Amino acid sequence: MGALPGHCQDLLPSESHVLLLRGAALEVWARGAELCRGPSWQQQLHPGEAARPLPLVSHGYVTPRPPFLCPLPPALRAQKLVLGHEHVVLLGCAGTIYTWGCSRHGQLGHGGLEPVSEPRLVEALDGMSMGDVAAGGWHSVSVSEGGDLYVWGWNEAGQLALPSKALAEKRAPATASVSQHEEPCTGQAELKLTHPEAALAAEAADFISIQAFPALLDLPEGSEVSKVSCGSRHTAAVTRTGKLYTWGWGKYGQLGHKDTASSDQPRQVGYFPANGLTVEDVVCGPWNTYISAVEK
Amino acid sequence: MSQPSSPEGLATSSCPTADQVSAGNTLWADIRALLPNTKEDLKLDFSEKVEESVISLLQQARDLLYGAESLCSGSTRETCLQVSEIIIDYSWEKLNIGTWRDVDKDWRRVYSYGCLFKVLCMCNEQGSIADTIRICDMGLLMGASILDNILVRIINVLQKHLTYGKRSAEEDTKEGQRKKIRNDHTTVPSIKSEEAIPRLHCPSLEHFRENYMIPTKPVILEGIVDHWPCMKKWSLDYLRQIAGCRTVPVEVGSRYTDEEWSQTLMTVNDFIDQYIVNKVCYFHIIPELKQDICIPDYCSLGEGEEDNITINAWFGPEGTISPLHQDPQQNFLVQVIGRKYIRLYSPQESENLYPHETQILHNTSQVDVEDPDLVKFPKFERAAFQACILTPGQVLFIPVKYWHYVRSLDVSFSVSFWWL
Repeated sequence: MGALPGHCQDLLPSESHVLLLRGAALEVWARGAELCRGPSWQQQLHPGEAARPLPLVSHGYVTPRPPFLCPLPPALRAQKLVLGHEHVVLLGCAGTIYTWGCSRHGQLGHGGLEPVSEPRLVEALDGMSMGDVAAGGWHSVSVSEGGDLYVWGWNEAGQLALPSKALAEKRAPATASVSQHEEPCTGQAELKLTHPEAALAAEAADFISIQAFPALLDLPEGSEVSKVSCGSRHTAAVTRTGKLYTWGWGKYGQLGHKDTASSDQPRQVGYFPANGLTVEDVVCGPWNTYISAVEK
Repeated sequence: MSQPSSPEGLATSSCPTADQVSAGNTLWADIRALLPNTKEDLKLDFSEKVEESVISLLQQARDLLYGAESLCSGSTRETCLQVSEIIIDYSWEKLNIGTWRDVDKDWRRVYSYGCLFKVLCMCNEQGSIADTIRICDMGLLMGASILDNILVRIINVLQKHLTYGKRSAEEDTKEGQRKKIRNDHTTVPSIKSEEAIPRLHCPSLEHFRENYMIPTKPVILEGIVDHWPCMKKWSLDYLRQIAGCRTVPVEVGSRYTDEEWSQTLMTVNDFIDQYIVNKVCYFHIIPELKQDICIPDYCSLGEGEEDNITINAWFGPEGTISPLHQDPQQNFLVQVIGRKYIRLYSPQESENLYPHETQILHNTSQVDVEDPDLVKFPKFERAAFQACILTPGQVLFIPVKYWHYVRSLDVSFSVSFWWL
C-alpha cells in the first residue's frame, strides 16, 4: 500500500477511499493500487472560514464515498454534523438541531415515519440550547448545555435505554406458552386469557421499538452528560464527573462490561474507576468504543 | 414485508413435541452431501457493492468448511461460527437501510451465506434441530437464493431428522377442545339480494375475462379449487406436522390500524399455541404448504409472470377483521376452512370511504364498516357495495383497487393470490 501525503489535519476513511483535509483543500484518494496515483478528487475550501470538525466544510459536508461533497443551505450555520446509516443530524451554531433523511425508525425526531428531504428543525427541542449531537445507525442523541440527554429513533437493541421487547424476550423466553399449557381444561371450547397472559399483554404495551419524538433520558444519580457518541446500535455517554455509561447492543463487547449482553438500561463501565481513571472523551465506531481517560 | 427484527432477538423456539438430534453423524453426512464438492465450486461472486472485507470473511468461512478438519473440530467450528455471526450481523444492517425494495440483492445473498455457514456449524453440534431450522428460515425470509436454494434442501434434511416425542392423552384432549370452531355468539350478517356478489360455476377463461376481469367486476367462482389437496388435508394437526417448526412472519393485532398491531417472526407451532384462538394473523406460505395448492388458471389472463404472483396464507380465529382497504393488484381469495363475511366497494366510491391521508395508510379507509361513525363520515352511508359470505371451496375475485372489508365468522384459513 502506498503512503498518504503529509500535512493532513484530519481524515475520513471508508473501505474504498480516504478523504483528507490538507490546509485549504479536500482531497480524496482511492485505496488499493491506485493510492500512488494521487488524489482522484479535490476541492478547494474557502479560506478564513471558522474551522469546524469534519464532516462539516463550508457550504456542505463531506463523506469518504461518492459523491464526496454534499451541499447544505448557506443560511444554515452549522456547528457539528453527524451521519447515521440513512439520516443526518446537524447542530446549529445557535444550539438548535436539524435532521433530514429517512425516518422509518423515527430517527429524525419529528414525530413521524415519513422521510424528509431537506434540513428540518427538531421542534420538540427548540428553545433548549443543545451542546452536542451524535448519531447511531438508526438513532439520534443530543446533549443540552445543561447536561441533559435526549434520545430518539430505533430501540431494537435497547440503544435508547427504553424498554426493549426483544431484550425482555431473551431474558424470559416463552412465558406465555408455558402458562397456556398449564391452563386447566374448561368445559367450554374457548381458551380465555389467563392472568399471566394478560399481564404479558399489558407489559407489551410498555415496550418501545420506535421513539419518534426526542425523549429525555435520565442517567443514574442524575449525572450531567458532557460527551456522547453512538455506534451502529449502541450509545456511550461521559458524565461531567468522568464516569462512562453505555447501553444498547453488546454482542461484540462494545459496551465494555466484560460480557456480550445487550442492555436497555445505562450501565456504568466499572473498568475506569476500578483502575483509578477518569474518562474524558468517547468516540464510537460502528461496533466498538474508544475512550480517552486520565489518571485521577 | 416490513423490516425484520433483530436476528438474535428471538426467544428459542418452543416445539411442543420433543426434538432430538438423531445420530449426529448421519445428519452431517446428509447435509454435507448437499454442498458443492470442492471449495472452488462454492463461488463467492458479488458486485462491488459488497466490501472486500466482507468477501474475505466469506472466504474464511468457506476455507474452514473445506479445510482438513472441516467443521468437525471444535476450534475450527467455533471460528467459523464467529465469522458467520459477523457476516450475518453486518449484512443484517445493510438489509435494514433504505426500503426493502432498495436493498441490493447481493447483500441479501451475503445474509443467506452467513446463515448457511452458521447452520453448517450448528449441524455439527449436538444442538436443537428446531433452532437450526429457524436460522435456515431467517436466511429464506430475508436473504436471496444461493447455491440453487440450498437452505430449502437443508431444511428438508433437517425435518427428516426431527424425532417427535409421543403426545400425552391430556395434550390431545386440550388440542381437541381448542380446535372446536366457536361460532355460538358470532353475528352473521344478512345480505340483501341486490347486494349479493354473483356466483359462477367453473366459467371459461374467456367468459371470466370478458364479463368480470375487463369490466373489473367482482365475482365468486365455485368448483375451481375442489381438487386442491389443501381442501381435504389442511387442519391444525396437519399444519403442525408439516410446518410446526418453521418460522414465519406474522401480523399480530386485530386491525393494522390498531396501536398494538405489529409484525413479528415466530414458529407455526408457537403461532398456533399463542394466537390461533385469540388473535389474528397471516403468514407467507412456506414451500411445504405450497404443495397443497395451485395457481388458479385465471391468473394466466394477467400480464405478469407466474413468478410474480404473491401467495399469502390467512389463518386466524373467528372475529378477525381486515379493515376496509384496497390493494394494487388483482386478488383471488380462496376460502379453505371456515367462513368470511366480505364487503366490496368499487374504487369509484373512494371519496365516500374517507381514506387516510398519510402516505403509509392512503389505501386504508378510516371508516369501521360494520359500525360506522356517520357523524364523522356522513358520505359513507351512500356508498354502494356488494357483499357475500365466502364458504370453503369458493374463490372471490377482487379486482385491482377494489375496496374490501373482511370479518371471519369462524376459525378461518384462506389463501390469497395477488397477480397483475
